[in-house]
Amino acid sequence: MSSSAGKRLGERAIEAFITFSGWSSILCMLAIFVFVLREALPVVPKIDFVELFTSTRWIPAPAKGNPAHYGALGLITGTLTTTLLGMALAVPAGLGAAVYVAEFASARARETLKVLIELLAAIPSIVWGFIGLMVIGPVVARVTGAPLGTNLLTGGLILGLMSVPVIASIAEDALRAVPDTYREAALALGASPWELVTRVLFPAAKKGLLAACLLGLGRAVGETMAVLLATGHANQIPTSLVDPVRTLTAAIAAELGEAPKGSDHYRALFVLGALLLLLTVAINVTADIFVRGIRTDGAKRAR
Amino acid sequence: MVIRRVVVATLVAGISGAACAPEVTPRLSITMKGSDTLVQVATGWAEVYRAATDTVDVSASGGGSGTGIAGLIDGTVDVATSSREMKGEERESIRAKRGAEVHEHVVGLDALAIFVHPSNPIEHISLAELQRIWAEGGDLRDWSALTPGKSGKIVLLGRQNSSGTYDHFREVVCGKTAEGVHREFRGGVSELNGSSEVVEKIAKAPQALGYTGMGFNTPRVKWLAVSIRPGEPAVTPSIESVNSGAYPIARKLYLYTVGEPTPELRALLDWTLSPAGQAIVAQEGYVPAS
Repeated sequence: MSSSAGKRLGERAIEAFITFSGWSSILCMLAIFVFVLREALPVVPKIDFVELFTSTRWIPAPAKGNPAHYGALGLITGTLTTTLLGMALAVPAGLGAAVYVAEFASARARETLKVLIELLAAIPSIVWGFIGLMVIGPVVARVTGAPLGTNLLTGGLILGLMSVPVIASIAEDALRAVPDTYREAALALGASPWELVTRVLFPAAKKGLLAACLLGLGRAVGETMAVLLATGHANQIPTSLVDPVRTLTAAIAAELGEAPKGSDHYRALFVLGALLLLLTVAINVTADIFVRGIRTDGAKRAR
Repeated sequence: MVIRRVVVATLVAGISGAACAPEVTPRLSITMKGSDTLVQVATGWAEVYRAATDTVDVSASGGGSGTGIAGLIDGTVDVATSSREMKGEERESIRAKRGAEVHEHVVGLDALAIFVHPSNPIEHISLAELQRIWAEGGDLRDWSALTPGKSGKIVLLGRQNSSGTYDHFREVVCGKTAEGVHREFRGGVSELNGSSEVVEKIAKAPQALGYTGMGFNTPRVKWLAVSIRPGEPAVTPSIESVNSGAYPIARKLYLYTVGEPTPELRALLDWTLSPAGQAIVAQEGYVPAS
């Protein structure tokens, strides 16, 4: 009697713990939103939102007697240009790697490559930053004749390299989820390997591949340490590939420790944080919608 | 037997420890943070002072003058090192948050040197030219306008906006408009997080122009003589030219504390101005205050 009551109590406790674990991620997400917004809110009346999105004058610590300016256009273009450049490199490379691993590699090569790709994804971003600063930067400067090795191109290359493993591993899963009957049917109809990949597998795994690219994009947009070291920290709209740029994340990382807590400068950085958060949430939600799309497709196929 | 000997040894150690109490009392920790210009001086002080006294442990770090002052406002720092004067609103927030007055101590002088790559043929530059290069609305973008021996875009390397060096350079070099409004820096300057990073980057970039404290001079970069207007005699940074006021971008280096200092802090502040403390200022390439 008492032992079964104890068992029931134990079971309840475990159930409660698991339920809480499930909800905790939602709680955390909400808490982060509340925190960022609470820190940002007091400065919102002082921010000219037209200036925020249209001016490059980011002057949070102005000279004596001057008003502060919060124009983030240079930072926003910095984030967008490095990210787009990174994606231009990472999407073809990541999808190419996924196609090879999923379709053409031998079983042994596939296992090794999958482990290596996952290892690559686990390299800390600060290490990528060092590689950008010490290895890729000097090479970029030598090849392009750029005056500084830390610039848009170096940042984009690093973000590309960082996103490849994310895209490759998710895209590979998406390709493997395409039923073998599709492959057999295509081959039986005389499709070449190229036709098989481009005409059958890509359309069939379209949503998963898109989700892979969007998650890679999410990683690139939110990346801080690597771009902090590799992009050269100049708040401007780049006019060439080798201009130094500054990203939203780098501005927050570089300035937050130095802005007195509670000051307008500190809060303005949280406004940038909120922008970034919205951007990454939008990307991830879009990716999630696509991923859910695949699952329902699979369910339909199973029926 | 062995155990007993250990116990006796411990007892003896305990007694002798009690006999000379300062040996075992934990050192009082004083944190000194702020100016990147002063970070070598501050770490030098911390090292020598630790050897000179047995009651105090000084931990010194950089991050920018604004960082140290922010720490002073938040109460996380005992001594803020700064390469610029504290602003009125910063004094206000310290008064409001800490309920005490700020005390200022000048510990040295510095020249803000203008650095270029050693291969650059330019030897001198004027404040008027520097303004046209660095200030918002400035039109000087190409080396050919400065020296016949060089052309190409000038690559600007500066400090981040919490830096006292950034602040002082902006005030002196960017100057004011005709209406008396301070000019800001123009966009597109690479804002670096340390003075030594400025010098290191210039050493690798023949197109670069940057500024930082005279103490960061190395053989791999070259500093320029500076005049007020083009054509006037230009002066290089040196102890003499800073002391006489001939070098146009000189500044004071400060320590800031809040409220009445504890005896230990008082002793440290006095020591930084003593010959031993000032010798470290000179050794790091700056001009002693006295």
